[in-house]
Amino acid sequence: MLTKTKTVVTLASKNMQHKLLLAAALFVSTSVAWAQVPVPAAKQAKPIALTGATLHVGNGQVVEGATVAFSDGKITYAGPANGFTAGGTAYETVNVSGKHIYPGLILPNSQIGLNEIESVRATLDQQEVGLFNPNVRSVVAYNTDSDITPTLRSNGVLLAQVTPVGGMISGSSSVVQLDAWNWEDALVKADGGVHLRWPAMVQQTTDNSPMVVQRRQARQTGLQELEALLAESKVYKNQKQDRENLKLASLTGLFDGSKKLFIHANYGKEIVEAIRFAQKAGVKEMVIVGGADALVVADFLKENHIPVIYSGVHALPARAGDDVYLPYKMPGLLQQAGILFCLDYDASLHGSRNLPFIAGTAVAFGLPKEQAISAMTLNAAKIMGVDKQVGSVETGKDATLVVSEGDLLDMRSNKISHAFIQGRNLNLTDKQQYLYQKFNGKYESGK
Amino acid sequence: MKKVFLSVLAVAALSLQSRAQETFPRNGVYDERSGLRAFTNATIFVDYQTKLENATLVIKDGKVVAVGTKVAVPQGAMVTDLKGKTVYPGFVDPYTHYGVPPVAPRTFSFNSPPQADTKKEGAYNWNQAIRPETNAVEIFKVDAKAAEELRKLGFGAVLTLHPDGIARGTASLVSLANKRENQVILLDKAAAALSLDKGSSTQEYPSSLMGSMALLRQTYLDAQWNSKNPDKEQNLSLKAFSETNRLPQIFEVTNKLNAVRADKVGDEFGHQYIFKGQGDEYQMLPQIKETKAAYILNVNFPDAFSVEDPYDARRIGIEDMKHWEMAPANPALLVKEGVAIAFTTADLRDKSKFLPNLRKATLYGLSEKEALKALTHTPAQLLKADKYVGSLREGMQANFVVASGNLFDATTLLLENWVQGQGFKISETPSDFRGVYTLKIDSQPDRRLLISGTPEKPEVKVVTADTLKGSLSLSGEMLTLAFAPAKNGKESIRLSGWYTGKGFQGEGQLPNAQTVKWSAALLEAASQQAKRDTARARSNEALDLGKMTYPFASYGRTELPKAETVLIRNATVWTNEKDGKLQNADVLLKNGKIAQVGKNLSATGAKVIDGTGKHVTPGIIDEHSHIALDGVNEGTQAVTSEVRMADVVNHEQVNIYRQLAGGVTTSQLLHGSANPIGGQSAIIKLRWGQAPEKLMLEGADPFIKFALGENVKHSNRSPQYNVRFPQTRMGVEQVMVDAFQRAKEYDKAWAAYNKLSKSAKSKTAAPRRDLELEALSEILKDQRFITCHSYVQSEINMLMKVADQMGFRVNTFTHILEGYKVADKMKERNIGASTFSDWWAYKMEVKDAIPYNAAIMHNVGVVTAINSDDAEMARRLNQEAAKTIKYGGVSEEDALKMVTLNPAKLLHLDNRIGSLKAGKDADVVIWNDHPLSIYARPEKTFVDGIAYFDLEQDKQLQEEQEKERLRLINKMLAAKARGERTQTAAPSRRGGQQVLHCEDLDNGAEENFQESEYHQK
Repeated sequence: MLTKTKTVVTLASKNMQHKLLLAAALFVSTSVAWAQVPVPAAKQAKPIALTGATLHVGNGQVVEGATVAFSDGKITYAGPANGFTAGGTAYETVNVSGKHIYPGLILPNSQIGLNEIESVRATLDQQEVGLFNPNVRSVVAYNTDSDITPTLRSNGVLLAQVTPVGGMISGSSSVVQLDAWNWEDALVKADGGVHLRWPAMVQQTTDNSPMVVQRRQARQTGLQELEALLAESKVYKNQKQDRENLKLASLTGLFDGSKKLFIHANYGKEIVEAIRFAQKAGVKEMVIVGGADALVVADFLKENHIPVIYSGVHALPARAGDDVYLPYKMPGLLQQAGILFCLDYDASLHGSRNLPFIAGTAVAFGLPKEQAISAMTLNAAKIMGVDKQVGSVETGKDATLVVSEGDLLDMRSNKISHAFIQGRNLNLTDKQQYLYQKFNGKYESGK
Repeated sequence: MKKVFLSVLAVAALSLQSRAQETFPRNGVYDERSGLRAFTNATIFVDYQTKLENATLVIKDGKVVAVGTKVAVPQGAMVTDLKGKTVYPGFVDPYTHYGVPPVAPRTFSFNSPPQADTKKEGAYNWNQAIRPETNAVEIFKVDAKAAEELRKLGFGAVLTLHPDGIARGTASLVSLANKRENQVILLDKAAAALSLDKGSSTQEYPSSLMGSMALLRQTYLDAQWNSKNPDKEQNLSLKAFSETNRLPQIFEVTNKLNAVRADKVGDEFGHQYIFKGQGDEYQMLPQIKETKAAYILNVNFPDAFSVEDPYDARRIGIEDMKHWEMAPANPALLVKEGVAIAFTTADLRDKSKFLPNLRKATLYGLSEKEALKALTHTPAQLLKADKYVGSLREGMQANFVVASGNLFDATTLLLENWVQGQGFKISETPSDFRGVYTLKIDSQPDRRLLISGTPEKPEVKVVTADTLKGSLSLSGEMLTLAFAPAKNGKESIRLSGWYTGKGFQGEGQLPNAQTVKWSAALLEAASQQAKRDTARARSNEALDLGKMTYPFASYGRTELPKAETVLIRNATVWTNEKDGKLQNADVLLKNGKIAQVGKNLSATGAKVIDGTGKHVTPGIIDEHSHIALDGVNEGTQAVTSEVRMADVVNHEQVNIYRQLAGGVTTSQLLHGSANPIGGQSAIIKLRWGQAPEKLMLEGADPFIKFALGENVKHSNRSPQYNVRFPQTRMGVEQVMVDAFQRAKEYDKAWAAYNKLSKSAKSKTAAPRRDLELEALSEILKDQRFITCHSYVQSEINMLMKVADQMGFRVNTFTHILEGYKVADKMKERNIGASTFSDWWAYKMEVKDAIPYNAAIMHNVGVVTAINSDDAEMARRLNQEAAKTIKYGGVSEEDALKMVTLNPAKLLHLDNRIGSLKAGKDADVVIWNDHPLSIYARPEKTFVDGIAYFDLEQDKQLQEEQEKERLRLINKMLAAKARGERTQTAAPSRRGGQQVLHCEDLDNGAEENFQESEYHQK
């Protein structure tokens, strides 16, 4: 906070400094409207009932004129207004007629909190050195005070899978909620995913240049090492250990299903190759991340019950001859193929606030609207193994939801009036709104 | 069998006579022989079109003495009877590196800082890529091994050059004789060589194609200036360049587009180049013809791809698949258009494929006469060497090839190659036993014996009830044959015998050990028929070629769409005019223009489109784009205003079509942001299928890209990039001031010179023309307009102040993410803004970027546009515009203007495009929904009234494309089954997939090697 306050001062003209310093001090102490990273919302103090909205449950169902009630951070009722009974609890009723309620959106495969300014190395905590880092945990580097986080919340994104990158095994991801004092508070599910970057098949050039040959060999070696690593991890639990091996210990969860293997792969043949590899190694739960070519191996994925985190909606087709709209159509086609999938935004971190608009684009190209919502909520929760707690607006789950003035998937009507995480009513301001007010004010007052 | 080949390889000099050089002393007695020889009874091609039967050729002292049908054999001549043989003039290869040292590879280290100045010592040019002072003749050495390889292909003389740099110096015409350099050099400076490749130069500039072109232009100007003002600067390179410019100019290009591009430079300076092409010229035939250049073609036809795996096959671009099929037809297609061609062995890794591939070209439509012309006459003529080589006339070099028959028959062998009167044996005539025979073995029923394949490698089949494959070996006139008499039989009949003149006879053994006598008599008629059938089958196959497409790329059409009169009825029409949004309105498109906008329109003969429920808007205009370019940054020097994006527009990139599918009709193609003053912009309309020249928006004002901030001060590059001025925003200001100061002084110098009287002018040196300063001078004169990449308020403010001070205007700040902080100052100066909707946080200078930026600037009164700088995002600029509604509450109509009318204003084109009004260009999009809705998608995109994108047609295009792919895949599988060589299925580097951004550097140094076409995060 301090350095940011300072920035404000240096930008201001001298005679303004005094006032601004005062104001800055106020922000810090009161942290109401204009703190750059707002103060995390306080625990839900009293039961709340939202009434009159169109409820998008997240499981494909829509309820018109719905009531959603929650208490102590948990949903106590979600459904038609006439089915709701307060049952003696004193709910504070908030009339949100004409608005829409959605589960808080979940952003998979994200470097939020690990990456502040992409070009400034000191702000990057997403990639360790080395090929195999299964023991590396992303959540411990997760910065709850990132300037980017509030900009995601104000578009409806309330949860994220904080994911490391690099190497072959990048480390483990955790699911966090996006309004917290520190990473411990933020945790929803710790270290649930191990991330494997499947090495690309070298086929970019036809020649056998030394570089290509070298890459091919490196790939072979890498896969052999991976095979050995998995094999030893599998038996590690049953061994009597004199010395702890952090890498092997961190992978044992893959073989009893307590951890999932998220395999980042795009090319059709790589997807099949990677899944077969992991199956042979005895991995229980697998997810494909990226999946640009998932459709060409749809039957394989379906038969093996492999879900997909589909990355590239707002992307160009991989090949010049592909259908011009193929990436836009993919979610609809995956839905038709009966594959469990969710959407991520891997083009840029700052752009991931556009997650709902990726879903909107997919709807324009064939994905049914409610399925598009599932693809950012319940499907994502299932894929990350947190669907008992979040992902839909259903009784018993966390009251993690957003209220939008209109259709969440269209930028013209995506206006979040309320957002709740575990029943806590979020402050939806951010640094960008602050700068907007600041300079808009300058022009409006004619300064 | 093997023996025949061995003798082919054993190339021996048939005669050793040679004239020693007069000036050389001799250790021993003189041993000079005249080499007087007569070759009689031959079929002689005196030149490519004069064929003499039963003719005689007389040579002496390495030259032709006489040739004709009535030539008497001189007394004392050694006589060779060439009955049944054919003599051709020795072939001439106009593009080789024979005998010159290889080009040193560019030494390059990731750790060394960029090299701004030349490292070549001496009074040479400032840029290492300009090396016209190189003379091949000075570095040429006879290379016996290389000469032999070329002689085997029939070549007698070659042009040799050192292929290094942009101006490569002079090339020499040399013979391939086994003599001293002093004798084989026929023309010491036969031609000058050029290219767009900087070669071994370690200097940073030029790092891009447009930089190479700019350097070439400036070098022409510098050389002119230098020759007029020799006392101003001693420059051996410029001096040499002026001299080499008088020679035939051989320009090496790596593709057809570069030929068209280089030709433009040649036209500017009055030079007609001869292009050494890559064999893809047929893909832009009309433009290639327009260059009026001759083309030196390789016969490096690509191998088929391995396409068994359908996943992998998908990776191959359709243009690469089609090229495999079409490449052998390239020579024929060029000749049909009247383009002069010559052949070279260059680029062939396996030189022995030269003749087979040349023959393939004749099967693909090139007449034998034209093929021979391209091997002999044309190269000689292009090099102004037709006095010496290219035909066989009295006094010319005794360079000729003796062939066993017609050169273009697959079975013909080159027997001897004579160079400057020196004879070299290439191969022996193998006995040709191919034909149909009646095979009699003892008293067994007659069988048919078929000998096919080639004379050197015959194949044999025995036909009874079944067709049985046998094994055959020939040694001289002895024959061994074995075959199993029954299908799948394990026992063989084995025969051994000799040639009788009319067949074979001999003895053999049956499977039952019985010894038998046998014979095989040739059936003349049947043999002739078999030969004809084979030839026919082959020529039929060659003619089955796919259709040409425009462009030659994915989504190319076999015919360009045409303008129609179109009436769109009953739609919601977003006019962007004072009428605003019209409900239930009509739009009439006629002759490429908007004819009418209103209600209840009618037009006879118009194609009517029911617009009920649909929306019609002006085409989207992307103010900041890098699609359709072969290069973005010449980011080497701080000021590169001399480079032109129009030089490197690539009309084949599929992103043009993809943008149309997103409703874009016009794009400004900008130089990148790697230096404060970048290159000149190109504004194109997305007329998919048209050549680059026709994409240009005719009559548009010229623009130029400037840039500020982190990219120009090299903040985000590797650490060794800490040497170029400027490294700070302080320095950027000084670069700007200095550049305009120099431009002003330049203008002043020219003004002073132009004011002089004619006589005074003749006595005064004209100032040196400087293309860099000319572009800046245009800015000062309001003839060229600035689009400046910018982020933070300090630098934006700075450039406004520099402009005030130096007397120019900034037209547009692009990106301008902190424009919201200085919008009032921009408004004051009438400067426009073109920004991203919501990008931020990807680098330090965008940490204060906010999505409300466009709304604030718009509200202050700045003309504000939303741009893409990204080929993907450009496909949904309507969505990006809609974000200004979310962030800042801009009205819907104003939001749409941010991607239509406002960019048109920024480009000074709002009188033509950007709104729907009678008289404006018919650049129109029909949407299925509200154009700012996330659910909207274009159904038709018109440019100049032509539906370059049409959703229905797109489906059809995809189907046709898929059919064409399948046809080619089957053809490739068949080729592989025939035993043809194949290559791995991989996308080509030049494919239409390139995606460029502002910050992309063309330096190979920082290019990422991508393993698969996907980025892995």
